[in-house]
Amino acid sequence: MITAQQIKDVLETYGNARENLLVILRELENMSGMNYLDKSVLIQVAELMNLPPSAIAGFVEFYTMFRSKPRARHVIRICKSTPCHTMGAISVFDSVKQVLGIQEGEATPDGLFYLERCECLGVCSVAPAMMVNYDLHGLLTHEKIVSILSSYRNNPVADGWGSGEEIDAAQTILPRTGQTIRLLENIGKIDPERIEDYTNSGGYRGIRKALSVSPADVVSVVKDSGLRGRGGAGFPAGLKWSFVVKGDMQKYVICNADEGEPGTFKDRILMEGNPHLLLEGMMICGYATNATIGYIYVRGEYRRSIDRLQMAIEQARASGFLGRRIFGSGFDFDVFIKEGGGAYVCGEETSLINSMEGFRGYPRYKPPFPGQAGFNNNPSTVNNVETLMSVPMIMNRGALWFKEVGTVTCAGTKLFCLSGKLNRTGLVELPMGVTLREIIDVHGKGILEGKAFKFAQIGGSAGGIVGQDMMDTPLDIDTLMRQGATLGSGVILVCDETTCPVDFLLHTMSFFKHESCGQCTPCRIGCAQLEKTTMNLAKRIATVPDLTGLKTLATLMKQTSLCALGQSPIMPIETMLKYFRKDFENHCNPDYKCAACDASLSRFFTGTH
Amino acid sequence: MAIKITLDGREVECERGMTILEVCNKQGIRIPTLCYHPQVSKTGACRLCIVRVNKTMFKTACTEPVVDGMNVISCDDELIFIRKSLLNLLLLEGDHNCLYCEANGNCELQSLCHEYGIEIPPAGDIRNVRTRDVTSSEGLRREENRCILCGRCVKACAEIQMNRVWDFAGRGSHAHLTTHIQDVLGDSECVQCGQCVQLCPTGALSFQTVYGRGLEWELTKKSSICIYCGVGCKIDFSINPQGELVRADGALDGPNKGHLCVKGRFGFDFVQSPKRLKTPLVRKNGELVPTSWDEALNHVADRLKQIKTENGSDSVMAFTSAKCTNEENYLLQKFIRAVIGTNNIDHCARL
Repeated sequence: MITAQQIKDVLETYGNARENLLVILRELENMSGMNYLDKSVLIQVAELMNLPPSAIAGFVEFYTMFRSKPRARHVIRICKSTPCHTMGAISVFDSVKQVLGIQEGEATPDGLFYLERCECLGVCSVAPAMMVNYDLHGLLTHEKIVSILSSYRNNPVADGWGSGEEIDAAQTILPRTGQTIRLLENIGKIDPERIEDYTNSGGYRGIRKALSVSPADVVSVVKDSGLRGRGGAGFPAGLKWSFVVKGDMQKYVICNADEGEPGTFKDRILMEGNPHLLLEGMMICGYATNATIGYIYVRGEYRRSIDRLQMAIEQARASGFLGRRIFGSGFDFDVFIKEGGGAYVCGEETSLINSMEGFRGYPRYKPPFPGQAGFNNNPSTVNNVETLMSVPMIMNRGALWFKEVGTVTCAGTKLFCLSGKLNRTGLVELPMGVTLREIIDVHGKGILEGKAFKFAQIGGSAGGIVGQDMMDTPLDIDTLMRQGATLGSGVILVCDETTCPVDFLLHTMSFFKHESCGQCTPCRIGCAQLEKTTMNLAKRIATVPDLTGLKTLATLMKQTSLCALGQSPIMPIETMLKYFRKDFENHCNPDYKCAACDASLSRFFTGTH
Repeated sequence: MAIKITLDGREVECERGMTILEVCNKQGIRIPTLCYHPQVSKTGACRLCIVRVNKTMFKTACTEPVVDGMNVISCDDELIFIRKSLLNLLLLEGDHNCLYCEANGNCELQSLCHEYGIEIPPAGDIRNVRTRDVTSSEGLRREENRCILCGRCVKACAEIQMNRVWDFAGRGSHAHLTTHIQDVLGDSECVQCGQCVQLCPTGALSFQTVYGRGLEWELTKKSSICIYCGVGCKIDFSINPQGELVRADGALDGPNKGHLCVKGRFGFDFVQSPKRLKTPLVRKNGELVPTSWDEALNHVADRLKQIKTENGSDSVMAFTSAKCTNEENYLLQKFIRAVIGTNNIDHCARL
């Protein structure tokens, strides 16, 4: 039981402003020993923070990491997103259930383990994966699960640093031959926990160079480089920076590190492997947009990223690289970390800002855009990790150098996250415009077990399906958009001939239903309805007109949803139906046999969830 | 600064900073809305007010500011289809059966479904059972299966009453309302001002006073002024066919601008109480008997004069009330000071 004094101490540590609510509740949940927040604790927090209890209740129910009922000392979260499902998440569930003798939503009698499902954990190259409190484990087999679980029986600590070696940067980045290494250059070479390693390899030169010219010059260099947002939308970074309103008000740089798109793990590797590069990118962005404070919003599952970044921030402050008048200029800049609590929608920039302020991660209507009124209603520039990390090299080597690789409209390199049925999965850095064939054959070393390629999902669950015909299409933002697909965050999830498109779509739709925030009508109800119809297909009780119904509803959602989440399901549905309409029609026949759908239905979609 | 937009093919002058909806309202063009309410901040969640902007874009009229040269279409076939589809989704999500709903006849969802020709939606099974809490609070009934999650109650409580009892909880299709920490209304910090009920567009929130005592079309409306305090809030009373007062709504054109407190909202049973005093009473031979105003006032005046003469002015004091207007309070202190000749005047200064 948490005492009133403990609660006061936590509030003292973090401060009782609403923006600290998430981290305060996380700390209290960890302290509970049973991974939950008792109602009495919530009431005390509400009182001490001068917040309405209803707001705390709503907050706790929004973020999946929180529970108000006791769980156990270790919460086991098994990922069921498409990359893990493709690689056999079902058998992970079966193994864990068998080893522990519990079902989902239950705790072992000794109070040690509690089992639940979750969406993408960001270690997709080593799927299937699970998380024990904050420790991530991938490449799970029955034997490995047995040994992992037994190792936690006498180990109360699971703070992220006990993760398996398979998730390390060194093992995630594929052999560099044939790649165009820019962002990944120093990862693995330098010690991310030592600032000297970064400075000795040329770090913090970009910001010095930026400080020697005017902010407007920095913006125009970034504009000239053609750098486009790497988070998914592909908006030109320099243009976004130039939209930040001018004036004397406080401005912010916000780094979106809420990497939640199933199949994406690039930002985790970047932050864990080279945290100072991110800080430098944020400094340059801050200088260019006249912002003096930077926030990095990291998803709560990435404990190691958070710890590494915190370490880097402290070292940078100690070296005088962060704080007042950095590098002898007149420019002040400091960086702080904000944590997420398990909500995909918080990757949407306005949801992210609401979450940072200690609210439920509901997106805001736009306009006003964050550049006009963002965090605390002040102008804020929100950029992805990969985008910001690309900035120092642009400053160092110039816009022309940056444009040497890539396509005409999409300059530079892109990190691709390879997962699924490939002989080799992991992170690669390749020029924009590379082909899927090269990625699969050269870097992925072909399809696992010599099976035939069926489709690849590019850009994550919000992205589209790409078939054999697009093997040689250049993968860049505009080309894919023209083809009705998207590059998104750079997910390449490859599925072989054994994958059932209906089953795959069911998991995609179930993801959206789980992650919809519930604010706007079309997304809240539409996502549930899409999942229902797809499930009827999997159950083989749907009819052919239902396929049109799927498209009609998803189109409505595309036209009317408040944020990009509700606008996304149309792409997987439309591209899936384009390639595999026959499979879908087959599922409309009650006598059609489909082992994959049967397995999902009997294991995942049995009751309410 | 005045700008020009094209609205349904007509050039219209409007002010920068206005939303499309505000311009449409001013021009007499009706846009369907549910989450929008002029008394609370913008939400943009129901998406019903979507209009066509610059031919290809769909924007919510309630949140989108007008821009010079903007071309807005308020209604066309595709917009009608979109609005119908959204209404159908709402019907699929909740338990909207007007037959047993208190809001029947006074429901914005019902009116829109009628206007857009919505028929019974296909039976769906994506509905989640939400809270039904109709007994815990003396004033309010909560039937959340009729809730469309527009958030007007949340904002009414937070922005008008400044009490923040309501908030959203859950996520996605499991989103719902919460009071306190998942407690019933009666156990929450609700002060029963009833503002959330007045703003609720459906029958999700309703008043206990009206339950079972008259359907919307049976009620007649009469405006009155609240007699509880000197603010003088304007109240729209609803009266059922039996002549009973059953509901009090804050009138938008009063000084209260639509708001009422718990006393104005629910404290009107005395009006028709058989125990209510209707004439002055004078104690005769130890018993209170009805009398005329003339006799009562003469009696009071005589006794006051007598007391003042026999015991001096300071043996009289007056205690006035917050229920009186400022003018009445002024008059009483003037009377006590100038007529009686004492400073013994005080005020309860509370209700």
